Amino acid sequence: MSTLSVLFDASHVLASQRWDEFLQQTINGLTLGSVYALIALGYSMVYGVLKLLNFAHGDVYMVGAFIGFGMIQWLGFRGAGDTWAPVVSTWFVLLVVLAVSMAGTAGLGVAIERFAYRPLRDAPRIAPLISALGVSFFIAYSMQLMFGSQQRDYNAFGIDNGKLFLDGVDIGNVRVPLLRIIIIVSAFVLMLLLWLLVTRTRTGKAMRATSFDREAAAMMGIDIDRVIVFTFVLGSALAGPAGVMFALRAPASVTMGFVAGLKGFTAAVIGGIGSIPGAMGGGLILGMAEAYTQGYISSKWSDLFVFVILIGFMLFRPQGLFGKADIRKV
Amino acid sequence: MRRRWLAVTALVAIVVAALASTAGAGSSATASSQALSCKSTMKVAFLTPLTGDAGFLGNEQLSWAKYAVKTLQKQYGLKIQLLAGDTQLSADLASSLAQKYIADPKVVGVLGPSTSGAVQATSQALFRAGLAHVSPSATRTALTKGNEKQATPAFFRVVPDDDIQGPADALYMVDKLKVKKVVVVDSQEPYSVGLANSIERTLKAKGITTQRESVNVNTSDFSPIVTKVPGDADIVFFGTQQPPKAQTFAQQLLEQGKKAKLFSGDGANDPDKFKVPGSYVSNFAAPINLFPYNKNIIAGWQKDNPNATLGSFGPPTYGSVQVLFNAIKRACDAGNGTIKNRRDVIKQVKKISVKNWILGGSFRFSTKTNDPLNGRFYIFQIQSNGSYKLVDPTIGS
Repeated sequence: MSTLSVLFDASHVLASQRWDEFLQQTINGLTLGSVYALIALGYSMVYGVLKLLNFAHGDVYMVGAFIGFGMIQWLGFRGAGDTWAPVVSTWFVLLVVLAVSMAGTAGLGVAIERFAYRPLRDAPRIAPLISALGVSFFIAYSMQLMFGSQQRDYNAFGIDNGKLFLDGVDIGNVRVPLLRIIIIVSAFVLMLLLWLLVTRTRTGKAMRATSFDREAAAMMGIDIDRVIVFTFVLGSALAGPAGVMFALRAPASVTMGFVAGLKGFTAAVIGGIGSIPGAMGGGLILGMAEAYTQGYISSKWSDLFVFVILIGFMLFRPQGLFGKADIRKV
Repeated sequence: MRRRWLAVTALVAIVVAALASTAGAGSSATASSQALSCKSTMKVAFLTPLTGDAGFLGNEQLSWAKYAVKTLQKQYGLKIQLLAGDTQLSADLASSLAQKYIADPKVVGVLGPSTSGAVQATSQALFRAGLAHVSPSATRTALTKGNEKQATPAFFRVVPDDDIQGPADALYMVDKLKVKKVVVVDSQEPYSVGLANSIERTLKAKGITTQRESVNVNTSDFSPIVTKVPGDADIVFFGTQQPPKAQTFAQQLLEQGKKAKLFSGDGANDPDKFKVPGSYVSNFAAPINLFPYNKNIIAGWQKDNPNATLGSFGPPTYGSVQVLFNAIKRACDAGNGTIKNRRDVIKQVKKISVKNWILGGSFRFSTKTNDPLNGRFYIFQIQSNGSYKLVDPTIGS
């Protein structure tokens, strides 16, 4: 009986450990997925309105991370020896950092649309695609020239003596750090605001109309140029905080945009490119898939698995999970 | 008529191109065989990453190289100009720079390359050109040891290799930290995998439970791997050449409430970037201010670099310059004031011995390889103020 009891206790402990690990990997996946969802939204929105894959979007995300780096150093690490000594509260500093990165990347989005895509709006579709790739390289190399290729660490651990990492909420035996909560909640709030804007406002209606049929929307009196610019503003504005959220946990570098952009694009495809709920769902699914693959299979397979998913969706469900199949009437 | 002119023009172009290429080859062969007066200004090239993630290492080394060239050339009665080439941690760039310096007939020796990948990429060309290359920091074991050495007999290093670092780190964990369980993580590139293998081998031989993990070299978020670290693991060894990633890994261990401390190799040794208190890092150089005879050298360097802090990568560079200049001087003496051939410098390097070696004790090369005799690694622990404290000299070197 005592042997059975020991075995039962051991299996219970093991099950409990496995559950804790699963919960932790789920939190890892949600954190990662929140960032991917914000990036994917930019891809989906621009594609929905313009039928253009904005490959420069990953680099906009990277620029957002660098804007955040500059702001956090300037506003927060003002003490002797570059210690955390903000003029206002830590929360306010973080809010300002997010807001400024949004504004900065929104401005960059407007510039990209105006100079790289608008002149090619009526050109064959390959032209804006090539332009998008060119813009991507232009941004990445410009940033490298200006800031070098060294990684930039936000030193988030130095904020309020590591509060963002060491404080948090306990779910069973698993500690969810404050920073993860901030990232997940912020991402969801931004996604919700976007969804409300697109579904509940006149501007959102105009965006949806343009996405459905650009010519008809123009005939109905909708200012298409303004709608397109606004779409770029929104999409790019979301990439900025995504970059900040990532860089609060891992160093930023000028090369971070390329892979993140590909993963954001993959997330948009999984969810259904052009679909806002799809982009959100796709991002979260991708983040979880990556975390579970690294956690339960091997991190060597993680990136490979992500792109196998992309190919699989393109082959078997190109409209994604939430998109609609493109029916052509003959 | 027109076609004939076109054919003649094409033929002339081909001949000119062929002549140009052979002229280039001839000039590099000539460059190596030209005699050089030791009274003239000779050149020493330095191949190191000055920008990028390893730029901190290259810039520290360059500051010491400049200081060493300035002070030691007088001591040895030489006139040497230092040429610095930024490899940006790229083997391809290192190769192009090497070719450029090979073609310069006044270059009589090479400092570096600093990184093992660059050594592997350039050693053949430098050897063919007869240029000795003395590295202050390339620690990959396979460069000088094994059946298929990745470097040539013209390559020398003044720091020990990873086959010493791995067991040193592992034995410190066993003997001093009394570990029972260690997670060993590599980042899937040669330096990291070699070091991780060496540590895992030593730990297993000592009966320590190990768990092996691997992350892609481009990974920045280690959360899923950190989640796999058992709650009772004592140490996580993470071999990386990017100090910010060691910092991130250590932070994420704390974030997930893991007991294990991070231990990393010399690639992560950067007090500005990797500073999570309680973590460990190893390096091939002890703090040189431990040795009283270095007092004037340190004071002189600090005068030239008032805003810089004393690190671990710079002093071996001073030592490398010392070895190279010593060899150049000997080659000059053997040639009666002339270096008849660059290869004469290579012949002298192995014979060098230095008392009051900047890294402690005395220095000479091993008779079996072009590595230092009795090289050792040192373990540092990161303090609460981010500084690195030497906790133990290497064990089992």
